[in-house]
Amino acid sequence: MGFFDKAKQLFGLGGAAPDEDDAGEAPAPGKGGGKRDRKDRPPLHDVPASHGRTVEDALAAREAGDRGEARKILAEIDRGKGLRVVLRAAAALEDGDEDEVKRLLPAVAVEAEGWKLLLQVGGALGDPARAAPYVERAVEEKAPAWAIAWTRAVSKDEAERREGLVELLFSDAPLARTVAARDLAVPVVVPEADATERYAAFAHGRDSIRRFGAETVATLLMRARTNPSGAARR
Amino acid sequence: MSREGRPKLSLYALDRPALQAFSRDLKALFLADDRPALAALLGLGPDFARRLAEGPRAVDWFLRPEADPEAGPLFASLRRTAKKRALAPAWSSDEPSLEGRLRHFELLREDTALASLLDKLLDANRLPWFLVRPGATSGWLPEAKVEELCRALRPLEASLPPEIVAFSRALRETEGDVLAHDLL
Repeated sequence: MGFFDKAKQLFGLGGAAPDEDDAGEAPAPGKGGGKRDRKDRPPLHDVPASHGRTVEDALAAREAGDRGEARKILAEIDRGKGLRVVLRAAAALEDGDEDEVKRLLPAVAVEAEGWKLLLQVGGALGDPARAAPYVERAVEEKAPAWAIAWTRAVSKDEAERREGLVELLFSDAPLARTVAARDLAVPVVVPEADATERYAAFAHGRDSIRRFGAETVATLLMRARTNPSGAARR
Repeated sequence: MSREGRPKLSLYALDRPALQAFSRDLKALFLADDRPALAALLGLGPDFARRLAEGPRAVDWFLRPEADPEAGPLFASLRRTAKKRALAPAWSSDEPSLEGRLRHFELLREDTALASLLDKLLDANRLPWFLVRPGATSGWLPEAKVEELCRALRPLEASLPPEIVAFSRALRETEGDVLAHDLL
């Protein structure tokens, strides 16, 4: 993706999406290859429909009421790992497509290992009582103090939120300020550059799960963690 | 900034149990959102105590940037109280160049163990959040590491610039754990 595509995407002006699983970057036009003769260029092939589509597009389709299109996008962009396969399986579960759920469950089970997805779902659920089993399991999985505090800090319950925020301030002050500014919109507080990368890495998954519908993802997650049939580990 | 205006590094004898106790007390009051007790702990006058009572949570005030004119005095009170509870001033450098010398003087950097101890002493990530100021240099070392640092510095003194020699001597004279800060 070129610089201007990235810039457009950053500012919400369209352009192709970055490949979330690909760290590589194509060389920018005009760099390294010298001047190219447009006449000698090979003919362009049809671009597959999936090119440039993202989880964001799938969520937007769902929000527009087109769950079928959302499932189609998730199937196109799924590479068998990460948030995409989780949301793809959740969408299948929601539609009662048990064959697809069973097929995807082993990959979801891999994603469900560790504490990260548990806390993203806990944070997306918001309600402390609903989030509690996920947070407890994340604690058993040795989730770091900042991650647990963050999940509590975005709770719908004010006391839980305050305690989470205080715990976060005492365990990771730059992240506490970033969460207060971005998640809680606390007046005058500003995000800290030191913490924005960590914030983005965790918050993207949580916010996408929330937008998709945290309850369905929560059901899928527990099934992937507890149901061994159809969930063979890698 | 003029040479005179540049911050200068100071050393403090650190009472670590007292600092930990203060941190626990502070956290407990934030958790309980007990604003009168918090105002009393920080020694706030009536005006600042009223300010602290505003808003949904006391902790929100301390999530603001220090540059915020409303929160700035609250941060200053917090640091003043922490200092009173757990820090005893031991020495202040006259030379603004000291930090740069400690971080870059070749002779110090050649000894990786010595350089690592100096870096730890100047690493703000190891301090509680309320002692860390934006743009300031700060950090601490436990007594055993201070002694290690003193032992490593002493034989080099003849070859070190005067500001580092003064630092080395002051470090030897400071008992226990040591905190370094240039804006406390």
